[in-house]
Amino acid sequence: MFIKKRKVVEMATDTSPDQGKRLPWAGKQVRPEHIEDELTFLWHLAADNMRISQNMNVRTSVLNLVICALDIASAYKASALLRDLPNTHIARVTLIILDTSEKSPSGVTTWVTLRSFPIISDIMRHHFEQVTVLLSGAAIQSATTIIQPLLKPDLPIYLWWVNDLPSNNSIFQRLINVSNRVIIDSSEFSLPEERIRTLSSLLQASPNCALSDFNWSRITPWREMVAQFFDVTEYRPYMVNIEKIEIEYSVPSTAHQSIGGKGASNPIRALLLAAWLKTRLGWQLSEENPQHRHESGVGTYFWHMTTRVPTSALVESLPSGNSLGEAGSETRGVIDIIIRPRVQAELPPGNICLIRLTSTLNGKQAVFTIDRGDDDEHVITSVEVPDNPSLQRVVNVAATHKETELLNDELEIMGRDHLYEETLHEVFDLLA
Amino acid sequence: MPQRSVVEAPNPFREGIRTKESLEPCIMVIFGATGDLTHRKLLPALYNLALEHPLPAGFSVVAFARRPYDDETFRKQALESINEYSRQKPVNPQVWESFAAGIHYLQSDFHDPAGYEKLSSLLSKLDQERGTSGNRLFYLSTPPSQYPDIIQQLGAAGLNRNRKGWTRIIIEKPFGHDLPSARELNRQVGKVFKEEQIYRIDHYLGKETVQNILVFRLANGIFEPVWNRRYVDSVQITVAENLGIEGRASYYEESGAIRDMVQNHMLQLLTLVAMEPPIAFDADAVRDEKVKVLHALQHLSGRDVLTNTVRGQYGPGWVGGHEVPGYLQEPGVSPNSTTETYVAMKTFIDNWRWADVPFYLRTGKHLPKRVSEVAIQFKQAPLMLFKKSDAQGQVEPNVLTLRIQPDEGISLKFGAKVPGSDMQIRSVNMDFFYGSSFVREQPEAYERLLLDTMHGDSTLFTRRDEVEAAWAFIQGILDEWKNESRDTIATYESGTWGPQVADEFIWRDGRRWRRP
Repeated sequence: MFIKKRKVVEMATDTSPDQGKRLPWAGKQVRPEHIEDELTFLWHLAADNMRISQNMNVRTSVLNLVICALDIASAYKASALLRDLPNTHIARVTLIILDTSEKSPSGVTTWVTLRSFPIISDIMRHHFEQVTVLLSGAAIQSATTIIQPLLKPDLPIYLWWVNDLPSNNSIFQRLINVSNRVIIDSSEFSLPEERIRTLSSLLQASPNCALSDFNWSRITPWREMVAQFFDVTEYRPYMVNIEKIEIEYSVPSTAHQSIGGKGASNPIRALLLAAWLKTRLGWQLSEENPQHRHESGVGTYFWHMTTRVPTSALVESLPSGNSLGEAGSETRGVIDIIIRPRVQAELPPGNICLIRLTSTLNGKQAVFTIDRGDDDEHVITSVEVPDNPSLQRVVNVAATHKETELLNDELEIMGRDHLYEETLHEVFDLLA
Repeated sequence: MPQRSVVEAPNPFREGIRTKESLEPCIMVIFGATGDLTHRKLLPALYNLALEHPLPAGFSVVAFARRPYDDETFRKQALESINEYSRQKPVNPQVWESFAAGIHYLQSDFHDPAGYEKLSSLLSKLDQERGTSGNRLFYLSTPPSQYPDIIQQLGAAGLNRNRKGWTRIIIEKPFGHDLPSARELNRQVGKVFKEEQIYRIDHYLGKETVQNILVFRLANGIFEPVWNRRYVDSVQITVAENLGIEGRASYYEESGAIRDMVQNHMLQLLTLVAMEPPIAFDADAVRDEKVKVLHALQHLSGRDVLTNTVRGQYGPGWVGGHEVPGYLQEPGVSPNSTTETYVAMKTFIDNWRWADVPFYLRTGKHLPKRVSEVAIQFKQAPLMLFKKSDAQGQVEPNVLTLRIQPDEGISLKFGAKVPGSDMQIRSVNMDFFYGSSFVREQPEAYERLLLDTMHGDSTLFTRRDEVEAAWAFIQGILDEWKNESRDTIATYESGTWGPQVADEFIWRDGRRWRRP
């Protein structure tokens, strides 16, 4: 997906007397009760600008975006990122900054601005409203009730939680309850395993809210490439007989392999992939051979699996002579899933570096591999099956690196991603 | 109940993948691979699909043509074409290298059986090497005169069916020259391929905005109740080109505007606008409804042709700031040519929804600009409260315009009161522009249509009965025009909206052509 880059222009500069924190990028500071009046005034100004300069305003509104940040730097970064999001047609952005520092007095400070993107050229502009709300002290606990009147009616609410999940997740839980869709980025998690557990239980407590994770979108091309292997009908029998899955994710150096804490490795993408593969293949944790290992400290995981569905059940209707018939009679040993870190300093931590599926059919081994290329933008897929030359392909995965594109994709989705939710719970089970 | 085998069952990894669809690896064989269409459209479309990776590993192209090239020469030319015509520039070297590894060139005459034997061997070899599972897609990108030969040779070589995998054939327009030739071509193709293997391509249907006609009509509950004779006054379909024949005299002399535009693109637009809601959004349900519209078109014959159609030829003039010659002065055009470069016509659809609603169709070359649109003009309010004596300005009828190109979008014209103490009414346009509402780049029509063929979805392709029904409507007009003298062809100045008689033709009905 391609988004044209635009520069963004803000209306309403903050010229008000200093009333504490100043956020010039957030527009004009106004009292909360004057937010709507100020926005109406800004729309009049925009219309007048249009008349004078013959610009055309485009106003197509499809959603409320609530952004929640735990500090001003994160809020600024998120706000800046919106400038590359002109095709989403946000009606209003409500940017909440939770100032959790203990010394801050209880209070609510608000700013408004009208932002515009030039579309096609400077002549045509798309506008959206941005309300920035800085909450401190006791007001933080009332974030949900404070933002409720600021939401545009009759439009869905997307909550983008930009930072790590807080230890006390009651605010997050309350915001989830008023949102139609919640977007997180699990690569921000400082304690990945713990946060996955939190998320899994929050999700169960809020069955009406759809949850999205940038990390899940980041691995979508990898899932697509795995699926493409087995679109080839000749390779399908190997899918049933996969006996080993290896997944590698990047860590900056051996010294940074520990999981948890700032700058540490985050294996969540690898965990999501492993859980997805497990569910898709109908595997379950082996009870006969329960030597699962989680070496969380170094980021290595190892599980023994068995098939949930007996292989023979899948092949009973095959015509005689089909090789899968023989596949069905093959004795299945223990199946392994292995996740391990790979030192790759040039990659951001947590990136997937390798997926390798090994399968044996009629005593011959086939290997399906997706491996990082020489750069961060390409991967090489390869298939090595018996009696066939190796087949390689280079695939561009650069689009998954851009946060704007990930956010844009999430804002286009209305329904729930049941597969993601199922996979998240599966990760929780694997880590249990 | 017996379970499906793992080979027959859906790929479990496909479930829940949001953005991509399952696509089986296949080999696309392009006949006429050194031609313009392949280099301008097909190869760039395939490269874009490889870049955005819906194309699976193993996807291969076999370029089948007469010129004495080898794999490397053809790949080099393909790269040049992609560099020039792809919407994704510059070419990504790694993706190109991977894509190019699957491109092969096979030199042969189209009528030479040995060439098809070589093709068969090459396809088997590629199946083995690239895992394409016997899936073949043949693309006829040659002049139409070569179609029968190629189809017959494919059948003789046994390439029309495959014991494993699927085999499909894409046939470019024009599909026939008139009703008898279209029937004959259908018969010849039908002897070799089953109807479900045949994909007759009209790239117009691959355009996002054409597909959006169906979405607009069928995904929004508020339009369907007014989409009928009770509320619609008339429909105007315009496909205007500012270009002339651009050196294609030999093709255009045989074709003319009615065959080049009306029989395919314009009748497709008409069917999408006029069809009943299908019972499902699948290929046959949609095409069943389109065919019903074509069957319901009031056929013109005899004097009705002269009163309901206008044909014209462009004369000299100025287009886009350049002086241009008249059609009869174009190189390769006979000075006595009766080929029309402009057609306007009125037709009716004889069914309950559209009885007595005129559909005006207009297309031409060397018109002021390139534009395609469908405009639905609604009837006036039953009681006009704001008469001229009370209100300044004029209350115009509501018009809903579906713009296909350029400025793809939808406009609704309605009357609004101008602020002030007077009762002044002005028509305003409420515009929806695709370009500014969905800033993302739209895929090329060929990308969409090639993917659909690989998926086996023929919704956006023309079925045999559809082609024949369209030709049956056109045939009556062709027959009558053939008998008429050259005097019935009006000349219009290049750069104008067509001949004066076309204006008079619609004025007689108390209407006027839109100025798109």
